[in-house]
Amino acid sequence: MKHRVALDYELAEGWLAPWVEGLRKGEAVASHCTACHSSRFPPLRACPVCRARLNRWVTLSGYATVLSRTTGTDGDFVMARFDGTEGGAILRADHLPDGAERGRLRACGADDPPTLSLAAITIDEPTP
Amino acid sequence: MVLVIGAALTPFNRRRDGSGFRDWAADAYSQALGMAMLEPNDVDALIVASESDFFTLQLNPASVLAQDLGLTFAATLRVEGGGGSGQYAVHAAVDRILSGRANRVAIIGVDPSASALGADCVRELYGYSFDFWTDGLTGVSSTALYALSWQAFAAKHGGTEDDLNLVTIKNRKNATRNSGAHLPRNHTATEIAASPKIASPYRRLHCSPLSDGAAALILSSTDAAPSTRQGSAPRISGIGAASDLPGLGHRTDPGTFTAKSIAAERAFAMAGIGASDIALAEVYDAYAGAEVQALAALGLSADPLASLRDGDFDADGACPVNLSGGLMGQGAPVGATGVGQTATCALLLEGRYHEGLQPQSPLGHALADTHGGVATSCAVTILSAGGKV
Repeated sequence: MKHRVALDYELAEGWLAPWVEGLRKGEAVASHCTACHSSRFPPLRACPVCRARLNRWVTLSGYATVLSRTTGTDGDFVMARFDGTEGGAILRADHLPDGAERGRLRACGADDPPTLSLAAITIDEPTP
Repeated sequence: MVLVIGAALTPFNRRRDGSGFRDWAADAYSQALGMAMLEPNDVDALIVASESDFFTLQLNPASVLAQDLGLTFAATLRVEGGGGSGQYAVHAAVDRILSGRANRVAIIGVDPSASALGADCVRELYGYSFDFWTDGLTGVSSTALYALSWQAFAAKHGGTEDDLNLVTIKNRKNATRNSGAHLPRNHTATEIAASPKIASPYRRLHCSPLSDGAAALILSSTDAAPSTRQGSAPRISGIGAASDLPGLGHRTDPGTFTAKSIAAERAFAMAGIGASDIALAEVYDAYAGAEVQALAALGLSADPLASLRDGDFDADGACPVNLSGGLMGQGAPVGATGVGQTATCALLLEGRYHEGLQPQSPLGHALADTHGGVATSCAVTILSAGGKV
């Protein structure tokens, strides 16, 4: 017996609003802990090191170093560390060439969900 | 003291017989109650483990199961902790008995993970098991996250695709002697290598299946157990749980299951034993590499890759791991998984397990290990044999 349920959610960005707004512009907005001076992208509401609450947002360069990559029928994804941050982020890598060691944050659409994606760095782009 | 006086599992598979999750729950409960030598009125509380209403389309599933099982007016509770839901339900029941708020507690783990929804829907829903806003909306799958975690572990410890194959072959071979297993197979490395790559290095045959099924436990305080069960029933001697950061990249080492180590330390401390005392274990092997990562975290071997290659975790090894076949071989109806692992350990300790898998020598202690996320919500249970052991 078939039964169909269609669900249309209205999602509230809440405390993540600055991060989502940054993604829509292609800017990597990270949480910054002023107690231990570490930045996280994606942001964390509480610092995992000193447990202080998020108290500052910072905008990163948007460039990241690829740590590892997985490909297959489920898609193409990387774990990458954004310059100026601790830890890593998981991002789509559909727009990142095979073997690329560096990439930059790719903007998601203005009305799209906040998708994390890493794109190729263009040849004439000044890479940090 | 908390005794496991009843334990049962339905077959784990993809049901095509017109039965539903409430039927499977009733079957498992009936068997467990019979083993416990109790009547429905003897049960004080029902705790249900079910991962997601998306599968059952039943909010508050404990209420309808209580109705089905003749447990109206019993205290009911539903527990959810992702893939670890079943083991968290066991812990909730143990807490309830140790606190004196109940004498006999029934636990039902159940989910229609295979038959209710199509594979694409399940992949999307499982993607929400991590951080919805970062991993979920990005569309990263469970398999991809586990693959990245295994890559980090393998880079540090030297794991290879051959090791993934060893786990796959071992668990599915064990499943061939478990009549309730979803994937009893005698795989070859060639066959595994020919299966599609889902998220490198994981191929389809390195992954556990989606299954339907249920498992049930009846726990009791010693005084409230039937006298015929008091001497032989195994006891739950230790429980421990811990949670890690859901975001894999946020962890200090994405390949190390740190929260699992902490959960195990807490369980061992409560039991008053160490990892070297464990005779066998049912370990969360959602993916082949996750079993090795779990064994490292649980401390069941100082060098789990060497132990795996030496056959220490085989059915006839020094510490058999996943005699049931694990998630990879027995199957994975999510809410039933952790309950089923604990039920399996209890049946093994009492000498009631499947012929051909039941060790012949007496067993002392067994460990059941379950988690949600990529070892995010970790729950470990230690069982100790009853009677003279």
